[in-house]
Amino acid sequence: MSEFLTDAVAFLPVLARGLATTILLTVCALAVSLALGLVWALMGMSHHAPLRWTNAIVVNTVRGIPIIVQLFCVYFVLPDWGIDFPPFLAGVIGLGIAYSVYQAENLRGGFESVDRQLVEAGTALGMSRGMITRRIVMPLGLRTALPSFGNTTVMLLKDSSIASTITVAELTRSGQLLAISTFKNGTVYVLIALLYLAASIPLAMAVRALEKKAAWR
Amino acid sequence: MIELSEVAKAFGARQILRDVSFTVEAGEVACLIGPSGSGKSTILRTINGLERHDAGTITVDGTLLSDKSLPAIRRKVSMVFQRFNLFPHRTVIENIIEGPVHVLREDPEAARTRAVELLRRVGLADRADAHPGQLSGGQQQRVGIARALAMQPRAILFDEPTSALDPERVGEVLAVIRELAEDGMTMVVVTHEIAFAREVADRALFIDEGVIVENGPARQVLTAPSAERTRLFLDRVLRPH
Ligand SMILES: Nc1ncnc2c1ncn2[C@@H]1O[C@H](COP(=O)(O)OP(=O)(O)O)[C@@H](O)[C@H]1O
Ligand SMILES: [Mg+2]
Repeated sequence: MSEFLTDAVAFLPVLARGLATTILLTVCALAVSLALGLVWALMGMSHHAPLRWTNAIVVNTVRGIPIIVQLFCVYFVLPDWGIDFPPFLAGVIGLGIAYSVYQAENLRGGFESVDRQLVEAGTALGMSRGMITRRIVMPLGLRTALPSFGNTTVMLLKDSSIASTITVAELTRSGQLLAISTFKNGTVYVLIALLYLAASIPLAMAVRALEKKAAWR
Repeated sequence: MIELSEVAKAFGARQILRDVSFTVEAGEVACLIGPSGSGKSTILRTINGLERHDAGTITVDGTLLSDKSLPAIRRKVSMVFQRFNLFPHRTVIENIIEGPVHVLREDPEAARTRAVELLRRVGLADRADAHPGQLSGGQQQRVGIARALAMQPRAILFDEPTSALDPERVGEVLAVIRELAEDGMTMVVVTHEIAFAREVADRALFIDEGVIVENGPARQVLTAPSAERTRLFLDRVLRPH
């Protein structure tokens, strides 16, 4: 046990740097996934059939490809076409795209839960469809979607470990390198597991606090 | 002010409105009464285009309702809903200025000043910063009426404004509507409050199965109806439970 503790103290600085990258990667990918997810969700609810079809194709394609393969596509395939991203950015883009379809689902669930009668109240006031979306459906729907954002973000935090496969020096990869060089697999991977847990529990708590704040009645 | 001529409406294969024609003059209060499912809400909702009618014409304040004139029509008529339909994420005053500021592009400060005045008129001056969820049903409906008035409409449509209220809250809402009537506001009110309709309405229309069975002076239709169906309906509504 005391050996575990001395090793842990020695490894923590390296792993902490990895964790910082993991968190940054998660936050950036989260932003990309939300922005893209919003586009998909709005396209999916559009009154223009071609927009809905495009959306269905994109969503089903992205959903049907494993995240690791999507990351490989961004990191290894795009350079063939002259688009070359550094690992971290490739990770953000790949994870952002992969998660955008889940976010779209979360958002759509939220938007569709908005009481139709409130939409009618806006319509009766003379609001345009866009105005109703922006001022009624989005603010109310986002609140309803908040719990599902929390779950998705915890999943994203864990799946950000897949970026280790494209050499992003996040928590998992830092740990792998450490384990290879020290042969202390047990200590390293237990620490990694604890650090992921330590990052996801406050996240879940933050989401719960936000939910409480957003409950206006 | 509001004129419907041979308006028809079907939902799928079901004909909901047939040959609905009536006129509401400026300053007049018309009450629509009739059994549940007879098409009263649908009539109101065709007037501001929440439902599109299949045939006939609807004219509001000289403007013929069409896809093109719809925005103009919606500026002329406001609507008050049975379930209030206030925006739960906005405060009382924000609910009231939503239309004036974002649809009519009024100056927010001016809209706010007018909203405070309207809140005073409906007796809720002290609740401007409350959220709808913190208000009783009667208070919410009075905010709903203030929100309708804030658009400075030529006419207001009320769809069973007191049906969702506790009995002891009905009076406060009817009092506000009564005052509007005294001020000469043109109103079409769907209601089951027959006593109120007798007192406030100029005209009463009895609707059954999407047809206007009777249309005449409120006092006559509601106390001495000429159609048997109206009489049976009134007996049923007025009979103490
Ligand atoms: N959007 C709709 N789709 C299909 N049927 C509808 C719709 N709205 C109303 N109806 C039907 O039309 C009839 C008249 O409804 P409504 O105008 O709400 O009646 P009322 O307000 O007199 O109770 C009812 O039978 C109702 O079920
Ligand atoms: Mg109705």
